[in-house]
Amino acid sequence: MVIDWSVAIRSLPILLKGAVITLELTAGAVAMGVVIGMFMALARLSKRWPLRAFATAYIDFLRGTPLLVQIFLVYFAAPQLFHFQPPDKYPYIAGILAMGLNSGAYIAEIFRAGIQSIDRGQSEAARSLGMTQAQALRYIILPQAIKRVIPPLGNEFIAMLKDSSLVAVIAMEELFYSGKLIVGNTLQSFPIYGTVALIYLAMTMTISRILGVVERRLGKSDIR
Amino acid sequence: MISVKNLHKYFGKLEVLKGVNLEVKEKEVVVVIGPSGSGKSTFLRCLNKLEEPNDGEIVIDGIPLSSDTNVNAIRREVGMVFQRFNLFPHMTALENIALSPQIVRKLKKDEAVAVGLELLRKVGLSEKAYEYPERLSGGQQQRVAIARALAMKPKIMLFDEPTSALDPEMVGEVLAVMKDLAQEGMTMVVVSHEMGFAREVGDRVIFMDEGVIMEAGTPEALFNRPQNLRTKAFLSKIL
Ligand SMILES: Nc1ncnc2c1ncn2[C@@H]1O[C@H](COP(=O)(O)OP(=O)(O)OP(=O)(O)O)[C@@H](O)[C@H]1O
Ligand SMILES: [Mg+2]
Repeated sequence: MVIDWSVAIRSLPILLKGAVITLELTAGAVAMGVVIGMFMALARLSKRWPLRAFATAYIDFLRGTPLLVQIFLVYFAAPQLFHFQPPDKYPYIAGILAMGLNSGAYIAEIFRAGIQSIDRGQSEAARSLGMTQAQALRYIILPQAIKRVIPPLGNEFIAMLKDSSLVAVIAMEELFYSGKLIVGNTLQSFPIYGTVALIYLAMTMTISRILGVVERRLGKSDIR
Repeated sequence: MISVKNLHKYFGKLEVLKGVNLEVKEKEVVVVIGPSGSGKSTFLRCLNKLEEPNDGEIVIDGIPLSSDTNVNAIRREVGMVFQRFNLFPHMTALENIALSPQIVRKLKKDEAVAVGLELLRKVGLSEKAYEYPERLSGGQQQRVAIARALAMKPKIMLFDEPTSALDPEMVGEVLAVMKDLAQEGMTMVVVSHEMGFAREVGDRVIFMDEGVIMEAGTPEALFNRPQNLRTKAFLSKIL
């Protein structure tokens, strides 16, 4: 079959629309992951063993099983388990949910490492001044940890952006799925998948450039 | 002011404090000396519950330190200064000092700032109020750390080798601040091998070794006429 690049050009608007959904999906998942990750990181560092055990089990499960399987669990298995009819927008919801749950586990580890990287003397000084554990965390530890956590969080965002192509399996019309549909109609696999790859590349490169700038800014005011 | 009876502390199987007894009166300055690893830091940290003792009794200003006493209430009364300063690097000198009065003592921001500025004046660092710790010398950082502890208006101050991380030329400025504090009547327990400071400011010197207090006495007596062999051996090494 002759390679026809004009198909790629005509499909560009649809592909870009898919790219926007990919970004939405990733942003939603990472936002959810940040909330879950914060909770899980604190739970893992907690003195109470049930919290610790829960967080450890959560993190181990989500990091130790394939994201693809997790997507299927949320999309197909959850309605069966909880006896509900999937609503119309369920692919979208399930996609964000599965990816958010997954990135929550990775982000928990990022936060935990960030918190643990702060010198013990900091929390001892805070505690010796009469601050509670929570106050020490809020005023002393987290403000310092945040800066160390931004670069790995950016990398997690890029990883999620790429992995979001997996939700094509549940007919979520993000970038990769849009490409697949067009290839189905036109059979122009090389131009379309090539364009899809280039769009992913443009997005990840842009984000990592932005990340580089942010890192350099943070590096200047190193510890502050 | 401080009463310690039969204090024991283990780290795993290692017994670090093997029955320490000490009474510190109000306004007294006690200097603790002893070889590395003898348990000086651990002892000090037990006094504000940064470490949990395994056995024994500690009473601070009439409040017994048991496992269910409000730790934060004790820590408000007991200030601590660390060897490595431990200033908060993301805050200016003034913010370092003014933070805990606001969130722990519930002072209004302008009151806390006034306290902070007054303390900075006291330690001779008024012009450094808005500097971040990384821009301060070691001696200046330690003086800010002292001011930070004082901002909580503690009744007792603990110092754990406050000058041993400093370049020699900065030791004096920190000791001068501590001396002023002693003269104002602060109750102090100071781990330090600065003999000059101990002689001049200390009411009592305690020699700690292998987790017990081997010998105690006035600076004059302990430095000039040590009775215990280990004290003699230790003093001959550092004097
Ligand atoms: N958190 C800890 N876990 C395990 N062992 C510890 C801990 N802290 C201190 N130790 C051990 O307890 C002993 C006493 O330590 P400590 O810091 O109290 O001694 P020190 O007299 O302050 O010594 P230095 O002069 O070196 O500061 C040492 O053997 C040390 O290794
Ligand atoms: Mg020590």
